[in-house]
Amino acid sequence: MSIKRQLVVPAKHDQLAKLALFVATGAEEVGFDDGEVNRIELAVDEACSNIIDHAYAGSVGYIQLEIEIEPDRSLTIVLLDQGQPFNPESVPVFEPCQSLDQMRIGGLGLHLMRQAMDDVCFEFGVPGMGNRLTMVKNL
Amino acid sequence: MSATLTVNETSITPEVGVGKIVRKPIPILAVAGRLDASTVNVLERALMRSLLQGAKVIIIDAGEITYISSSGLRVLLTARRQVRERGGDIILCTLSPNVRDVMDMVGFTALFTVFNTREESLTAALGVV
Repeated sequence: MSIKRQLVVPAKHDQLAKLALFVATGAEEVGFDDGEVNRIELAVDEACSNIIDHAYAGSVGYIQLEIEIEPDRSLTIVLLDQGQPFNPESVPVFEPCQSLDQMRIGGLGLHLMRQAMDDVCFEFGVPGMGNRLTMVKNL
Repeated sequence: MSATLTVNETSITPEVGVGKIVRKPIPILAVAGRLDASTVNVLERALMRSLLQGAKVIIIDAGEITYISSSGLRVLLTARRQVRERGGDIILCTLSPNVRDVMDMVGFTALFTVFNTREESLTAALGVV
């Protein structure tokens, strides 16, 4: 039987630690080890930072975080915002290369989200919801 | 709830050789706490201070960093580019498993100069300054 929880916070950087703690607690309940909990926190942190920096870009707004805990199976994370649609296709793809001097920093956050989670799905202009990001991590 | 990050700034002026050659100080930044977009400016400022003071090599002791996001990685990469322009380097040491994992995910661990201990970092730094 799954457990659902929700947290709504202002879209501000000083809320990142609270969002991370909320999702980390759920990840532990699924049964993820410390390393995977850290990766899940990272994915939520990067996603929320994108919402704050790009979707709201300084304007007032809120982030709605919903998690669905399926013990011993998976964690589903849904992030909702009412900011400008953020098109992940417009972000340059981050490519680790052989030299730090030539490495381009753009797309680092998206790369980490995709590395950390099993499934990352962006939807924009969802009726009554705005922008919706769904991320899934299987145990 | 908001995150905290502290940077304990010290420096060591190595005295080497029979003639007691005093080299330029090597700043050591002992960073502790959660390194995310809300706290990264604390590290950014500490790095900027060392750079303005002319540091060629900066050692970052990351042993007490509990978490790092792309914001922290960007600051490390930017600082490294700045010291490389003056022929120096950023040396990282005592990475926690979580920090190492995130750095591995973007290929940084293999490309940054990383040591297990602060002592090894200082020895390496002496070879650069």
